[in-house]
Amino acid sequence: MIRDLVFVLLALLTVVPAFWVVFSRNIVHAGFALLFTLVGVAGFYGFLGADFLAVTQLMVYVGGVLVLVLFTVMMTHVPAVGRRRHGLDRLVPPAVFAAAVFGVLYKVITVVKWNVGEASTSPTTAEIGTQLMTNYVFPFEYVSIVLLAAMVGAAILIRERSHAGSDDAIAEEKQEARP
Amino acid sequence: MKLMYDFFTGQLGLGAAGANITVAAVMAVIMFTVMALCAIILTWMERKVAGFMQSRYGPMYTGRFHGWAQAVADMLKILGKEDIIPAEADKGLFKFAPILVLLGSLLAWAAIPWAPDFVAADFDLGLFYIFAVSSLVVIGILMAGWASNNKWSLYGAARGAAQMISYEIPLALAVVPVVMRAGSLNPQDIVIAQQGGIWHWNINPITNPFLFIAFFMYFIASIAETNRGPFDMPETESELVAGYHTEYTGMRFAFFFLAEYANLFLVSMIAALVFLGGWWAPFPGMGWIPPALNFIIKGVLLVFLNMWVRWTLPRVRVDQLMHLCWKVMIPVSLLCVVGAGVWMMAWGQLK
Amino acid sequence: MSMSQKLVDRLRGEFGDAILAATSYRGDETVTVSRDRLLDVLGHLRDIEGCEQLSDIVGVDYPKRGERFEVNYLLRSLSNNHRLRVKVDVAEDQPVPTASRLWRSADWHEREVYDLFGVPFAGHPDLRRILCHHEFEGHALRKDYPIEQGQECSRPEHLFADEDIVRAARRASVMAAGPDALHDEVHPSDLLTVNIGPSHPATHGALRAEILLDGETILEARTEIGYIHRCFEKEAEDHTWAQVMPYTDRLNYCSAMLNNSIYAAAVEKLLGVEVTPRCQGIRVIVSELARIIDHLVCVCANLVDIGALTNYWYLYNIRESIYESLEKLCGSRLTTNYARIGGLSHDLYPEFGAEIRIKLDELMAGHTDVMKLIARNRIFLDRTVGVGAISRADALSFGFTGPCLRATGLDYDLRKAAPYSGYEQYSFEIPTGTNGDTYDRIMVRMAEMVQSRSIVLQALDKLPAGPVNLDDRAITLPPKRNVYQSIEGVMNQFKLVYEGIQVPAGEAYGFGEGANGELGFFCVSDGSGHPYRLKVRPPCFPIFSAYTHLIEGAMIPDAIATLGSLNIIAGELDR
Repeated sequence: MIRDLVFVLLALLTVVPAFWVVFSRNIVHAGFALLFTLVGVAGFYGFLGADFLAVTQLMVYVGGVLVLVLFTVMMTHVPAVGRRRHGLDRLVPPAVFAAAVFGVLYKVITVVKWNVGEASTSPTTAEIGTQLMTNYVFPFEYVSIVLLAAMVGAAILIRERSHAGSDDAIAEEKQEARP
Repeated sequence: MKLMYDFFTGQLGLGAAGANITVAAVMAVIMFTVMALCAIILTWMERKVAGFMQSRYGPMYTGRFHGWAQAVADMLKILGKEDIIPAEADKGLFKFAPILVLLGSLLAWAAIPWAPDFVAADFDLGLFYIFAVSSLVVIGILMAGWASNNKWSLYGAARGAAQMISYEIPLALAVVPVVMRAGSLNPQDIVIAQQGGIWHWNINPITNPFLFIAFFMYFIASIAETNRGPFDMPETESELVAGYHTEYTGMRFAFFFLAEYANLFLVSMIAALVFLGGWWAPFPGMGWIPPALNFIIKGVLLVFLNMWVRWTLPRVRVDQLMHLCWKVMIPVSLLCVVGAGVWMMAWGQLK
Repeated sequence: MSMSQKLVDRLRGEFGDAILAATSYRGDETVTVSRDRLLDVLGHLRDIEGCEQLSDIVGVDYPKRGERFEVNYLLRSLSNNHRLRVKVDVAEDQPVPTASRLWRSADWHEREVYDLFGVPFAGHPDLRRILCHHEFEGHALRKDYPIEQGQECSRPEHLFADEDIVRAARRASVMAAGPDALHDEVHPSDLLTVNIGPSHPATHGALRAEILLDGETILEARTEIGYIHRCFEKEAEDHTWAQVMPYTDRLNYCSAMLNNSIYAAAVEKLLGVEVTPRCQGIRVIVSELARIIDHLVCVCANLVDIGALTNYWYLYNIRESIYESLEKLCGSRLTTNYARIGGLSHDLYPEFGAEIRIKLDELMAGHTDVMKLIARNRIFLDRTVGVGAISRADALSFGFTGPCLRATGLDYDLRKAAPYSGYEQYSFEIPTGTNGDTYDRIMVRMAEMVQSRSIVLQALDKLPAGPVNLDDRAITLPPKRNVYQSIEGVMNQFKLVYEGIQVPAGEAYGFGEGANGELGFFCVSDGSGHPYRLKVRPPCFPIFSAYTHLIEGAMIPDAIATLGSLNIIAGELDR
């Protein structure tokens, strides 16, 4: 009974703000509403006994991704004037796309034979660690290298851009700026 | 905890789930009370320490003995203040932000083991969990700064968020060598691994010098993580007026205030349990001291150290702060992780 | 023949008819030049005769004359140690060519003359009101502007127009292409204008700087002053010479003793009298104490702004304890009103010297503590070295004097260069910096405190006995015994108080080394008991005009640290 109650509460915590994210006209509000959804999902992981996953969800999504999302939302300028009401042309393509995604997900959920059983309450951390270092060491290292490459790439992109301007242009503008 | 659980199941005849929830509720109330008390005591302590550093007395009158009631009086005063919400503020977010900030520190408090088996939320991922929920504070600060609709607040919030997510990295990395040594993320296990006097504590440079360095990395990062001087970028009263809480008054301001001191004590307690042997007494034969008292004394000493630093050093500039984090502390912390691992392998200390 | 007189002769040789007149009065050389050759003369003085500094521009209004206004350029050569006043006459609405291309300090000085007299300056880059509100009508210092006529002005002024922001963004976009930037295009809406002041914890007074920010970097800054402008100079014209004394307390309220002494000395210069040696000694003592207090306030506030709060307590107590002695001496802490024209309000009390000696020892203890905390502190060095730096040439051109100029490495101090009040008897050094940055400004002030202490101790040792007031019944009040017991005494007192000291007609510029730099009073008398014109040359006015120059390209924390080290006191900035 209590388990059901917890489930319903977590579901509400996840779904209601999710609607808010989608329908809020204020993009910053949408960003903050995402907080609750992400926390709700973390709650589900915990509820299912995946404690490591739950905390990771908090750490990565709330502590990292959400902050980035909020930063992006706050720092980009949303033109306040000229924000049109959503017309049909804006509504139909996303609706079709959403329906397609829903269809795929529904198919997956119904087709896959889920292994239903009691969630194990034993801690998963040590097990995950051992698995990562033994059976899954290759994917683990592979992902590390991909991430490293991404990081190096990002750094190079920034360096490239900052060297783009020619010195002549700077000198010219400095000249112009002088009173 | 077990005792309490048994009491509820045995004496009161509650079911397992009911007892669990009751224990959680009781612990939550205890934690919140302790936290609020802590904040009040630490405010008083901050004033006295600042006074001590600055060759003056600090509060002396309220409550007769060394102004002990000053913090209480302040709290009462702050409760009586008008609650002002700026007309152009984003009202919903403005009201919610202080709660979120306080929630972040309160949730983290749950995983602190005060004494053997006395912990509100005892689970294997304790340390990881503490760092994870602290990120709620970042969101709260961003929310406060944005909702205030004040340029200074926004600057404070942006600085705060950038600072806190940056310093979370060396903070967490500094703890990793200890986790490696104890072979567990559970705070209780980490403390138990340090049993047997001061030379068994993780800070002992002879057992593992890298842990000794990690302690200082942790300490510096923890000052930044709590937004206190010399790293008080989000507030910087002389630059940003009061940073992200410029527009807050009364009770809502008190929430930020409470959270600051709760966080201060939190990071100090984590340092105590990770590096300074938690509830163990420093020398054998001192076993008569209650474990919780040992633990609190260590925490308070670290708080004192933190205050000492705050009242000694000037504030760094915001770009220097980032420079320190990304170019000095993160490399050194990474080095500590690798170095500690190699050291433990070499001396066979790995579990 | 003095240096300055030789200079006048050379000018006559060079410009001939353009020099309409040359006068010498009370040691000040003045040349009147024709308006169309003004810039030539000024340029010659700057380039050939080494007048690096334009100390001040003073307007004087003579409504009865055909060419109603006199504009005085107070020039000073630091390298040749001579001074010269260049005067032009202009009629109403007749433009004067701007000197702002010769000296950068002319920018604000000309704006002030324009604001208060309505003299237009042709070719000035930004001729707006500066001290009065932008909605103010009329010109306050014209003789026909009634002193009691107030005006209500309330609309705030936006210092950045939209097109300024667009222009700044475009410039920043091109700059951002340089090697140190992260993004390559700056959109005007990426920029943010923020007001530092008039009510901000770091301005320590009502100042306003509006800054245009790209992130934390200041692209452009503009300042607005005049928030506590009360037109001290107009008030002075409405009072007798002696009654102006308490108003001088309110100029730089951190070092009122210095203002008192220098004002009294300026009027004495115009009178052509010299005070007694004991009075000179006491003025030196209280002036140096005021300098110590002023430096303490500046350094402490600056350190607090940088976040080093504890230093404040190590030093500020000493300020308080010196204030106690000053209060005992003259009845109040800040507004001392101690000096009198021709003397002092009264002598020192007997135990003053002993008290001050103890307090100066406390100063040294605090000084040592603070130096230990900051001198080699890495964070402090990172925050101050190279921050808000100004080159020596720029500093001279902007009219910097005092510690801010000495921080650039120039050992120029009026107490040495043009000794007054017996400063030549004391041995002291002039501390200097090297880079002209915030660190040097703080350290120069710290070192000057030690020198001032040494001067005070020497002056206490050497303090001669004797009267403190001139025995001249046309200048100082008669002894109270005479007032109470003889009709001559009563009449003497009555005439001095009601009619004021009769200063002979003429003009003179009296100056001294204030805590912030050259503090000068340009006094014009028409022979009545009231000043016809009294112009203050506040040291921080030209210094603050350089503030935008110092902070553009820096970050918000740097702007705060720089502002503190310049020691801008709104009381004398706005007058």
